[in-house]
Amino acid sequence: MTSLVPVLAAVAPTLPLLGMLLALLVRTPRQADALVVATAFPTAAAGLLLAAIALAHGDEPALRGQWYLIDGASGVLLAVIAIVGLCSALLSPTYLRTSGRSWTTAARSRSLYYAALFLFWAALLAVPIVGNLAVVWLVVEATTAASALLVAFSGRRDALEAGWKYLLLTTLGLSVAFLGIIVLAIGQANAGRHGLHALDWYALQAAAHSMPADPTLIAFVLLLSGLATKVGWAPVHNWLPDAHSEAPAPISALLSAALLPSVLLIAWRIKEILQPSVGAGTTHAVFIAFGLMSMVVAVPFLWRSLPWKRLLAYSSLEHMGIIGLGIGFGTPLAIAGVVLHVAGHALAKALGFYSTLPLLRIQPKAATRAPTAVLSDSPATATAMGVSLVALSGLPPSPLFLSELLIVLGGLTAGEVVVSAVAVIALALGFLGLLHALMEGVIGDESRRRRRRRSREEGPIIALTAILGTGMLACGFAGLLLLPGSGFVETLARGTL
Amino acid sequence: MNGVLVTAMLALALAVIVVRRRTVAIVLLAAQSLALGILAVSLAGGAVVAIVLLSKAIVLPALLYLLIRRTREARPVAAPAGPMVRLAAAGAVALCAVVLTPPLGLGAAHTEHIAVALVLVGITIVIARRPILFQLLGLIVAENGLSLLAVSVPGGLSYVIDLGALFDLALIVTVAAAFAQRIHSDLGTGDTELLRGLRD
Repeated sequence: MTSLVPVLAAVAPTLPLLGMLLALLVRTPRQADALVVATAFPTAAAGLLLAAIALAHGDEPALRGQWYLIDGASGVLLAVIAIVGLCSALLSPTYLRTSGRSWTTAARSRSLYYAALFLFWAALLAVPIVGNLAVVWLVVEATTAASALLVAFSGRRDALEAGWKYLLLTTLGLSVAFLGIIVLAIGQANAGRHGLHALDWYALQAAAHSMPADPTLIAFVLLLSGLATKVGWAPVHNWLPDAHSEAPAPISALLSAALLPSVLLIAWRIKEILQPSVGAGTTHAVFIAFGLMSMVVAVPFLWRSLPWKRLLAYSSLEHMGIIGLGIGFGTPLAIAGVVLHVAGHALAKALGFYSTLPLLRIQPKAATRAPTAVLSDSPATATAMGVSLVALSGLPPSPLFLSELLIVLGGLTAGEVVVSAVAVIALALGFLGLLHALMEGVIGDESRRRRRRRSREEGPIIALTAILGTGMLACGFAGLLLLPGSGFVETLARGTL
Repeated sequence: MNGVLVTAMLALALAVIVVRRRTVAIVLLAAQSLALGILAVSLAGGAVVAIVLLSKAIVLPALLYLLIRRTREARPVAAPAGPMVRLAAAGAVALCAVVLTPPLGLGAAHTEHIAVALVLVGITIVIARRPILFQLLGLIVAENGLSLLAVSVPGGLSYVIDLGALFDLALIVTVAAAFAQRIHSDLGTGDTELLRGLRD
């Protein structure tokens, strides 16, 4: 099966690029919707097949070629991006049918939406595949352009503000990260390694022991602080709640479930590669600092009565913090937790954002204020929101319960007792905040029970709740049975490459 | 010669934060990109560098000029701070960059300092200027700082990275221009101060 890897690695991002070009050519909404189905399924199939091969080889050295590098972490991310991308693409016609006004004319809006969606999806699929630091930076920069347009798609003033803020802040952050890449390129050039391949992940890893400590430390700090903007880590997370709340629901799901962890994967690889030169203490400290700060900053917002999508956005801040913390701990237990958390969070968060589609039909004011007693209006929507909230809060049998437990235990085995204790307190407080949202916003007052006519958006959300909910349970069981102590996790804990 | 051009790039960036008129700021940016292009040709040479030079010094400013033709302001957007305050702030940021930037391994401290200063001054322009076009110019100034460091890498960066970065910049500028037009048609001005509705 590994002989298929070069082909699949090329096909998976190329298919949505073709979809993008075709989306600009189609003339009718019906053709555009048909194109989405025709492109999304093969793209997801290629991504999932590649992910399956990567996961099957997770306990062996990474699969690599001239331009690609695929390890176990790539496999997890590819699976997440393929599944969430497929769900987002298939839900997009439903969103577009009910979205009302958009950035551009009705005739062009659908084509532009699909073109930007496919470009975004293609870039996301390329991130875990590309084997070169500079090229992966270029790909991440491309995700910014495509997703900024999607964030502002509705054309409302708040959406324009969110999109502009996202474009500006993440581009500046990526500029800082690129400064770090150039510093690394200078170091490689001084050692006689020139050209594009000097910045391959493997070339950097091979050179890490001989890199001068001070410039490499500068490069590491620049790269991490720049990428932190795109990951949405505190204190450079200002764009995150705005962009997630204003974007169309299928795009919010891709942003939170796929984009943020994809950029985190790059940060993780940089940590592993530069650690021999920079020192394990420094790299761990930077990840732990960003992770813990994000978790603590998120808590007050999780306690507030926020609009549904803003609540989910602050939950993303918390969960990116948890993942960062796990990578910072770096022990096999913590890494097992990280792998499980990336997958579980993606499914739970995507379902949460998808439930916005029927939610805004039954409670239009939920766009700007906290929803109230959704169960009384639509049991199907309330179930989707409830499953998402229960999973995100880490209540058993959520896979996030197990992943958070593994990360905290990993912290304790790493000797980070104080950090682990603060993390547990932050998790407990975040749990209470989400529980409050579940009780007030989703379940609400028994006496208000009234059933409205079932809306058209409820059909897809019932199916998605069943599929993604089952996926979360499967993740939890697979994580419990397969991950701790596995060769897959041991390989990742030794280094992602 | 190269040292003068490098210093001129910083002076032009500082001028961008001061000037009031958008057309003047675009001319300053074009001059900065031209200085960068001349440096790139003298350091690395080659057809790719020439393409980057032409694109940055001619095509991008032309696109920005078209943008301001389509988004006419009845009067310039009032700045929250006067030009001398802005200049002092940007000058202080540049000075900090010069004093505090440690050796990056290039062996040309002046270039390293100015490149980092340009990135920071670009960020300062984004923070200090309210008009959407000036914020976009801040992004490009910061990117010119990165390009200055990139062309100074011994042997240069790969053409793939040069062209990829140019493509990404063009994509970002195009998307930003679309935002600028949409915001202008919605608000009647490019003043980003009016985009402050999202708060928790």
